[in-house]
Amino acid sequence: MASKAKTDKTPAKADDKQIKVDKWDGSALKNALDDATKKVLIEDMGYEESHRLMDGRLAICTLSVGFAMFALAWDYLHPFPQSRPVLIFCVTSYFFMMGVLTLYTTLKEKGCFLVALDKDKAGIDPPNVWTFVSQVKRYDDQYTLYATYVDAKTKAVRTANFTKSVAQFFDVDGNLCSDYFEVEVRKLHSGLSSEKKHK
Amino acid sequence: MFDVGDFQFLGELRRMNKRQLYYQFLNFGMIVSSALMIWKGLMVVTGSESPIVVVLSGSMEPAFYRGDLLFLTNYEEEPVRVGEIVVFKIEGRDIPIVHRVLKVHEKENGLVKFLTKGDNNQVDDRGLYAPGQMWLNKSDVVGRARGYVPYVGIVTILMNDYPKFKYAILALLGLFVLIHRE
Repeated sequence: MASKAKTDKTPAKADDKQIKVDKWDGSALKNALDDATKKVLIEDMGYEESHRLMDGRLAICTLSVGFAMFALAWDYLHPFPQSRPVLIFCVTSYFFMMGVLTLYTTLKEKGCFLVALDKDKAGIDPPNVWTFVSQVKRYDDQYTLYATYVDAKTKAVRTANFTKSVAQFFDVDGNLCSDYFEVEVRKLHSGLSSEKKHK
Repeated sequence: MFDVGDFQFLGELRRMNKRQLYYQFLNFGMIVSSALMIWKGLMVVTGSESPIVVVLSGSMEPAFYRGDLLFLTNYEEEPVRVGEIVVFKIEGRDIPIVHRVLKVHEKENGLVKFLTKGDNNQVDDRGLYAPGQMWLNKSDVVGRARGYVPYVGIVTILMNDYPKFKYAILALLGLFVLIHRE
């Protein structure tokens, strides 16, 4: 059974780049599909990836870990009763940064894993922005991909999404069948960009 | 399944870019930091350098048994009184001792010295103190017992008795956090 399904679905160019995941691990499946989306937009369509959101989160995390490590070092060099004011400062800053991180992920990132910039060839106009958010409910097989397109010139915002079972993109062994998934992503993408041309 | 033979759990790690790898390490750092900051926060609130301790010996039975978790405070303004249970450090010993205060002497200039004894011990603690030391000072005190949770510290005792067990658990947890992508 297993080998048959594999020959049916695995793309012909099954090279060593074949992505294989643990098919019972929901987040691994989601990550693999997110990465595949990224590959289509960035590598195949030539959009530029914007790392601003991720960099923001990294900065917040680095700063909070920095506070903790500083507190640890200071407390080691100046044992407890002396280090009290520094500890108070570091502990409050750390928990404040944790609050900031929670706000950042829920209000700013909102589960967004890819911001792709469609740059103007002449380099005059600001780029059109594609934002992708994906969602898999816990213990669920339905993968939802939301795409948002912001046109730089008209400021028009368009959204689209599709929901498919992950079973359509992975074979029984957990190999990603990227051809099947790419079709869906391209459909989503062309749906939004063709709308642009009709206007 | 978790297919160790194919190392597919490492495959996920291999597919990450620089930012994701760095975030993976930060994630691990933040788990450690959160625990550390909660501990340091407790230190500030209770005034004790070690606000939670585990009873390692049976010298205070039947008040405390091995594995009981004690919650300590160490406020400057509260005086040490006879009958209180204090946790103190002795020079040359790594592990603090939990015993009851037997005698207290206070001078008018604020100098305090006191003697302790374990409820379950036949004699007072002078034999445990540093050679030549007859009394404890306020600076020796780590904290005073304010509350306890019975038996939950038994895990700590196990880890103390079998250090390899402790390192194995820590290594496994660390590895899991590092290679597991959220």
